[in-house]
Amino acid sequence: MQISKKVVILGHFGVGKTSLIRRFVENSFTDNYTVSIGVHITKKVVEITADKSVSLILWDLEGTDDLNHVRESYLLGTHGIIYVFDVSRPTTFQEIQQDLAVLENKAPLIPIKVVGNKIDLVIAEEVIEILGNNNISYDFLTSAKTGGKVNDLFEQLAKMLALDAE
Amino acid sequence: MLNKLKENYKNSNLQFILTDADGLILDSGQTLMTCEIGTAIGEVHPFFFSIPSIMASTESTTNFHCVQLGSTIDALTADIEVFKKGENILVVIYDLTDHYLSYQAMAQSRNESIIDSELILLKNHELQERERFKNEFIQNFSHELRNPLTNIIALTNILERTDLTTEQERIIKILKESTSNLKLMLEDILSISMIAKGKLALNPSVFNFGQLVDFLRLTYTTRAKEKGLIFTITVDENIPAYIEGDRLRLLQVLTNLCDNAVKYTETGNIALQIDLNQKWANTISLRFGIKDTGAGIPAESLETIFESFEQLGPTEGVGLGLAIVKGLLTLMGSTINIESIAGEGSHFYFDVKFNFPLHQPSLPVLETNKNRKRKKSKDSPKFKVLLVEDNEQVQTALFKMLIDTGDFFIDVVGDGALVMEEIVNNPYDIILMDVNLPNISGDQLVKVIRSFPLKNIKKIPIIGVTAYSYEDQLKTYLKSGMNAVLAKPFDENELLKTMYRFLN
Repeated sequence: MQISKKVVILGHFGVGKTSLIRRFVENSFTDNYTVSIGVHITKKVVEITADKSVSLILWDLEGTDDLNHVRESYLLGTHGIIYVFDVSRPTTFQEIQQDLAVLENKAPLIPIKVVGNKIDLVIAEEVIEILGNNNISYDFLTSAKTGGKVNDLFEQLAKMLALDAE
Repeated sequence: MLNKLKENYKNSNLQFILTDADGLILDSGQTLMTCEIGTAIGEVHPFFFSIPSIMASTESTTNFHCVQLGSTIDALTADIEVFKKGENILVVIYDLTDHYLSYQAMAQSRNESIIDSELILLKNHELQERERFKNEFIQNFSHELRNPLTNIIALTNILERTDLTTEQERIIKILKESTSNLKLMLEDILSISMIAKGKLALNPSVFNFGQLVDFLRLTYTTRAKEKGLIFTITVDENIPAYIEGDRLRLLQVLTNLCDNAVKYTETGNIALQIDLNQKWANTISLRFGIKDTGAGIPAESLETIFESFEQLGPTEGVGLGLAIVKGLLTLMGSTINIESIAGEGSHFYFDVKFNFPLHQPSLPVLETNKNRKRKKSKDSPKFKVLLVEDNEQVQTALFKMLIDTGDFFIDVVGDGALVMEEIVNNPYDIILMDVNLPNISGDQLVKVIRSFPLKNIKKIPIIGVTAYSYEDQLKTYLKSGMNAVLAKPFDENELLKTMYRFLN
């Protein structure tokens, strides 16, 4: 049995949203930064069990430093949200609480995974300490470049959405 | 034919797709995307997957802007309108690829520039943090060194006055040279730390330029000779005899450069040349150049040699000389220039503007050894000193220094809280006080003493000693009422000279 779930990936620009999706869907990575505009949608099927899979419809949204500007239509029918920040650029996570509040308002009751990306660029222990000191909780620290925790992120979300669907 | 062309033109950027409520394609144009009738619209592109469920829960038209339907942005990027038509759904795709391509190019350049600025700011912040940490570290470190160094200098002087064998005298001489070098290094560290913190200000006054040149000539001719080198100074004869500037800091720049030249030159000569660039009204511009035939500097090191703690090879010192030169010259509104070829030698030069008095000034008479002699006569009674110092080693060193003169009776207290009791019960001629005391700081204590109602107590001369030697700190201590402040490490002469100044 296969079910389809729409997942929106958003966050500030340049945090690596497209790279995370590309790593997950195509298992590839490029250092060249190409700005995403509007929305780009891709799909990948995640096997949950031998007879059960989830088709993740991934909506890669244009980065913005103000989530109030995210078009309402992009969020319609969303089952899950991945909020991405860049661990090497504090401006992308220093207002994370406000951003999450905006999301909860725009898409009530939709599960959100908070992801710190580009962990390969920093010393993980230092970042964990900084995030801790600033009361920033996260679900995954990923690296689209090395692939670290990328599959874990999407697979865990897929399992969670599959469970929700039951 | 024309109508067909018109129709083609009108529809080339548009596609209509009609589906049923479940998203099954009932009818479709094929202009932009291939849509087979009878297939689920979600199969055409994942974007359409959620359309039926969205439309089931909404009554109105829904617009989606800037949807990338091709594999790349330049393939097909469109605005999409979805209408509810009775039980069916009408999807209209507007191909706006060209428009969004130009928008993307704009966003690319804007975002890149924002991210670059952020990264530069972060980098700067990181560098500043590193610099701050380094300065704080060296400041604390040099501070910690001051007490033991004061002790070593004091005790070496005391040892020197005992009966010594020739070998012991030789050892004492080496010991004194080493402590003197260490003291100079600490001064360098202090200078660089002050420059880095912006706490160093120039202190210009009129001085005899010829005397400064003579000092350099004497010092470096001797030092160069010791290494088998030739040192020459050439000075433009049109330079006025007296100029106005910060003599001490100019000397510091020149001695650092000359020290380096001597340090890195093994054979040949070192030439200090001072030229007059320009002279107008009461202003002159001088060019100072120090040329050597030493090791030279490899091109790749030219950028970094002016950074703190950078030095070219395993030589003495802490690598602060050129950083100090750079910092001091910046304060003087000048920059250091360098021409160097590795293996052939270096030429450092810089220009500095000075004012000069149009008439020969009358300068204060320099204190000489002759008029620096102690003022107390042999038969006069001894002075009574209260030494306030908590560090036992410094206590010992200062005590020995003073007692050896035969001029003083000394009481020692290690706690600031006991000072008042001591001075009320004993008539002291002078107080020698460490500024950093337990329980109460030296400057606070002085304020208390100065406000004491008894005149003989509130007027006691107080000399502070401190390991914190920033100028503004010293000023604070003086402001608190201390008559003088000595920065550690100081030597015996400096201490006694200062004390005698306030006795008699």
